[in-house]
Amino acid sequence: MIVRCALRELTRHPLRTLLAVAGVAVAGAMLVDMLMLSNGLQTSFRELLESAGYEVRVSPAGTLPLDTEATIRDADALIERLREESGVAGVAPVLAANLSMHGELERSVFALGVDPDAQGVFRMLSGRPPGPGEVVLGPEGAGGDTLSLAAFGTLGAVAGTTPRALRVTGRARFLYVSESEVPVALELGTLQAITGRRDRVSFVMVAATPGTDPDALAARLAERFPEVRIVSIGELVEQAEQRLSYFRQLAFILGSVSLIVAALLIGTIAAVSISDRYGTIAAARAIGISRRSILLTLLLESLAQSAAAVAVGLTLGLVTARQLERILSDFPGLPEAVRFFVPDARILGIAAAGILGIAALAALIPAYRVTRMPIATTLHREEP
Amino acid sequence: MRRSRPPRPLRPAAIVAIAAACLALSAAAAAAQTAGGVPCPRDLEVLVERGFAARTGLAAGDSVRVGPTPRTACVARVAGTFVPPPDPATLTRERPRFLFHLPDLAELADRPDAVDRFTLKLRPDADPDSVASLLAPVMPGAQVMSATELADRSSATFNVIRRFHVAIAWITLTASGVFLACLMILRVQQRRLPVAALRLTGISRRTLFLWLLLETTAVSLLGGVAGLGIGALASDAINAFYQRRYDTALLFSLIGPDSLLLALGLAVVLGLGAGCVAAGLLLRADPLAEAGR
Repeated sequence: MIVRCALRELTRHPLRTLLAVAGVAVAGAMLVDMLMLSNGLQTSFRELLESAGYEVRVSPAGTLPLDTEATIRDADALIERLREESGVAGVAPVLAANLSMHGELERSVFALGVDPDAQGVFRMLSGRPPGPGEVVLGPEGAGGDTLSLAAFGTLGAVAGTTPRALRVTGRARFLYVSESEVPVALELGTLQAITGRRDRVSFVMVAATPGTDPDALAARLAERFPEVRIVSIGELVEQAEQRLSYFRQLAFILGSVSLIVAALLIGTIAAVSISDRYGTIAAARAIGISRRSILLTLLLESLAQSAAAVAVGLTLGLVTARQLERILSDFPGLPEAVRFFVPDARILGIAAAGILGIAALAALIPAYRVTRMPIATTLHREEP
Repeated sequence: MRRSRPPRPLRPAAIVAIAAACLALSAAAAAAQTAGGVPCPRDLEVLVERGFAARTGLAAGDSVRVGPTPRTACVARVAGTFVPPPDPATLTRERPRFLFHLPDLAELADRPDAVDRFTLKLRPDADPDSVASLLAPVMPGAQVMSATELADRSSATFNVIRRFHVAIAWITLTASGVFLACLMILRVQQRRLPVAALRLTGISRRTLFLWLLLETTAVSLLGGVAGLGIGALASDAINAFYQRRYDTALLFSLIGPDSLLLALGLAVVLGLGAGCVAAGLLLRADPLAEAGR
């Protein structure tokens, strides 16, 4: 009976109901998007880092991996010492450098020098990892059996000026490379020779043995190796989050605004709809319908309207998130796999609960007021 | 900290700005002429970024140790502080910036006869793009680009953020548009009884339609102006917050004439549209039924 009454009231004013549903749906969509934005970077960045299988990163003092062009000197000795540490299951050195590609297409490529037996920066799609004098291309890399690469910034007769022909051994998906970069992978020694950076690496990835806490391992290694910076994935995610805190702040502000807009809209509609029915409600109370039933009917009205809006809003939110993700995917320097909007059931649940909670609260105030109005006076003043 | 002789100004032309990414820095005084067996540059001087100097209490005349690693750090005298030009690209930079004489930094970083980039000042009649395309083939292993191209490349981040803001703005506009339409319709529907009574006294539909339209437009306009006021206050608050946070003179929020016109225009157009629909529906109804007779 209560449900039927609530639904009948909503269908009596279709335009009003439709507009309210549309308004709350757009606010709900914005809320979903902002909740996804506030959480997406953290989630996807952590997933990306963990997918490599190395939980600790070692980079030049004062920097983070691939943050600057700085390199670690005496890398071989450092790697040996790291391998001897307890709790260390594997060590993967990486040297990164921009190289110029020569041939039919002259362009800049982002080269990663790795140990083919221990690396966590790419996944082979076809072929095999690069050995000395060999190269692996990205999925979209230019075809051909060989590739000519030379170091940038070596003007005149300096080592590395002459392009070096490398044999292509396969294709790989690179984990930490942005969409705008053209990645290639070389054997570490080969890249060190091309760039003239012997015994140097950009960063080292360290895998912890099973049962070892990566944070504790990173802290212990940081004490033992003060000449470099050693961080765990948790700290890296924290750093990335700090740098992109703008998106979190924006998400917080716009998410709050969405909730306020939804509350205002639902509250206004509920207030107007209830004030139109002062007489009817007073008459209903006069014939013995309890305050509780009236309150429930009015709350249900608001919740039914908001539930429809939530259903539309969540769908709309997922669609707009995809469009917004497309825009942000052009963000320079971010790995291709990083996502700003990561849909998850918990977020959708929070958004739905938020809107429904706000709807209940916004309707509760005018509903409570109307059930407290004196019946006789109201019936005198209002026409049922 | 050790106070030494008064600061001697550095010549800007002889200075190259390179982030102290690879330089471990500590504020302890030391007088070694070699660091880890590597000779230090003579009379090593450094300019320190103002914000960092203020946070750490560094001042001209103080001594700091700088080097690729703490073990190979050299003593440098703080010659003064500097304020980097406002640049949105470096806002979130956490590492402090230091300015060195180019040969000193090259020696410290063990990169003799190396620079990261050159900046060329052209004659007034030279076209930067033409010069860049002439120089590129004679400088293999280097990228040559005009300042405009460089600016385009460095502003890629902000272009993405601008597009993102525009998309968010459209969602917000849609939400506020629907909200406005809803309010206008509610407002007109509340006039049901007076409008029915006025129609029964013989006032024409046209007059009533214009009255309702005028009312909704005025409400929208007033709401729009109030919204702009709130927006201006919010904009000031955003600028004050971020300028203080990042110690910069950059403007983070700017209400230009185009956004002003768009906001007001949209408020009026949406108000008019919603008023038209609501008034049309109201005036089409039977006044006797509306009056409950």
